[in-house]
Amino acid sequence: MEHPAAPPQLNRDLLDMMARGVSVIVSACGHDLTPSVMRALGSQISASGDFVTVYLGQRPSAQLLRDVAASGRMAVVFSEPSTHRTVQLKTRRARLREARPEDAAVLQRYRLAMQQELGGLGFGPAFVSAMFAHRIDDVVAVEFTPDEAFDQTPGPRAGQPLGGPAP
Amino acid sequence: MSAVDLAELRPCLEGAIPAMMATCAADGTPNVAYISQVFYVDERHVALSFQFFNKTRKNLLAQPRSTVLVLHPLTACFYRLHLRYLRTEDSGPVFESMKAQLAGIASHSGMAHVFRLLGSDIHEVCEIERVPGDPSSTPLPPAPPRCNLLGALRRGSARLAACATLDALLDATLQTLEQDLGIRHAMVLILDPVTERLYTVASRGYATSGVGSEIALGDGVIGVAARERTPVRIMHMASAYLYSRALRDSLAGDGSAAISTDIPYPGLPEPRSQLAVPLLSAGRVLGVLFVESPLELQFSFEDEDLLVTLGGQLAAGIDLMQESAEPCPDMPGTEHPAAPAKAPAGPRLQVRHYRSNDSVFVNNAYLIKGVAGAILWKLLQDRQRQGRREFTNRELRLDRALRLPDVADNLEARLLLLQRRLAEQCPQLHIEKTGRGCFHFDTAGPVELEDVAA
Repeated sequence: MEHPAAPPQLNRDLLDMMARGVSVIVSACGHDLTPSVMRALGSQISASGDFVTVYLGQRPSAQLLRDVAASGRMAVVFSEPSTHRTVQLKTRRARLREARPEDAAVLQRYRLAMQQELGGLGFGPAFVSAMFAHRIDDVVAVEFTPDEAFDQTPGPRAGQPLGGPAP
Repeated sequence: MSAVDLAELRPCLEGAIPAMMATCAADGTPNVAYISQVFYVDERHVALSFQFFNKTRKNLLAQPRSTVLVLHPLTACFYRLHLRYLRTEDSGPVFESMKAQLAGIASHSGMAHVFRLLGSDIHEVCEIERVPGDPSSTPLPPAPPRCNLLGALRRGSARLAACATLDALLDATLQTLEQDLGIRHAMVLILDPVTERLYTVASRGYATSGVGSEIALGDGVIGVAARERTPVRIMHMASAYLYSRALRDSLAGDGSAAISTDIPYPGLPEPRSQLAVPLLSAGRVLGVLFVESPLELQFSFEDEDLLVTLGGQLAAGIDLMQESAEPCPDMPGTEHPAAPAKAPAGPRLQVRHYRSNDSVFVNNAYLIKGVAGAILWKLLQDRQRQGRREFTNRELRLDRALRLPDVADNLEARLLLLQRRLAEQCPQLHIEKTGRGCFHFDTAGPVELEDVAA
């Protein structure tokens, strides 16, 4: 198993896509190798892509959060529904924290971005609101630095590692 | 966590929203990936599309447990399926149904060049979890239950139960689809097990009826449904499954194919939704009930359930009509009324029969071929030589020249095809059922018969 010394360098296009707000799915794994999975309520990414926060509801993601807390391991997929452009990040160093009041604005921005993105595919604003309904006191933020990134856009390059650490 | 029935999830498996599949490597590294299709197999199993040999697949082969996240397209409720991978199928009913459906999903999402089904991964459903939502928000209402479906099925069933002839049975089926379900384009095809082709015996909603048009077993949605004995439902049409007339054979290519004996297939030029249901009776495929629409997403799993059920009664009815050989009040063949002295009034018909494929042409226009053509030729000869007008199914079965198969000869369906084709193309020749297992045949004008050995 390799441990990249530095986070992978993602190209500007991908970083922009992830910053804009696209579908985010989070997965982890229990001691008995049972996978856990849930859609995130929102996400935030630093300009260089070395620091990512995903937000999960405590109620809908109870097992997933327990698994992340226990192992620190997490796989997160960012995907743009309109183009199928998809990237998967993996980490061994995820940390949980409670949501703070300023996170509410992040989640609100994210929901509006998703209403626009999914609206283009025919899903109305009420449906998208229901998908991301939450109470801020139920939200947990998971922060991590990606150890690996993979292209997951359907096609021949799917599964290829993306931009290894900067030379 | 409350137990959930897979039936509650069926709307999530219609392909409107992609599912997400989480797996785990042996070292505990999680992986998550989009899955194009989660296909309902039965109450305990689903099949997932295997398209690429990727991390997900590698993980599954090493560790069969996975967790799949699906979203309800109306209520926005999330569900998690806890699955155990069992096996991969690369042929058969589940695979072929998924392949047709995936072609539709791929072309709809601009992925036709990327998506290709390598296999159907069959998973056991160990548990289904309804993901708890936010208690403070009002849940979205589910679709109102389509209780009209059961009412429609009942009305259709009553209609079919009242039918005494194959003709009436087919009409009752198409009438039910149109009146009770609003399905305007439909056809019924019967399988000829000898030639392995399906021929249209009834249709509704097309510019031409297409009665007599043929499709090879395995060709397109209809042919796949018959060959694999499984419903095939497409919510977004894929060009891969559109029929191409170029694919169909004309006269057995021996150079004499100057005149096409190809009755055009009646289907919609640009269908967007299609559903083909095999007609099964006593374990045999008798034919296919096929519906289509110019709009996308027209046929849900509920329509499929209903058509499979109605198709079951239709198939049993076809079988029953086939077997019924209730003797006519007076058996013809014993005494034949003499031919009327004066020739019937009406325009003269010139009928030519080609022995090689039993094709029949009237005034140089193609009418029919195969077994139905051989039957018509027999009727015309007996009418002319012996003056007969009354015939029985039994004598046709005994006539070796007609080359009817010993088992499942579909005689009733072939007679109906001939009757309808005559009514459409050549009303001067006329078949009418006079009872179970017997019918009347007559000509409305003088007929000249020419038998060509070619």
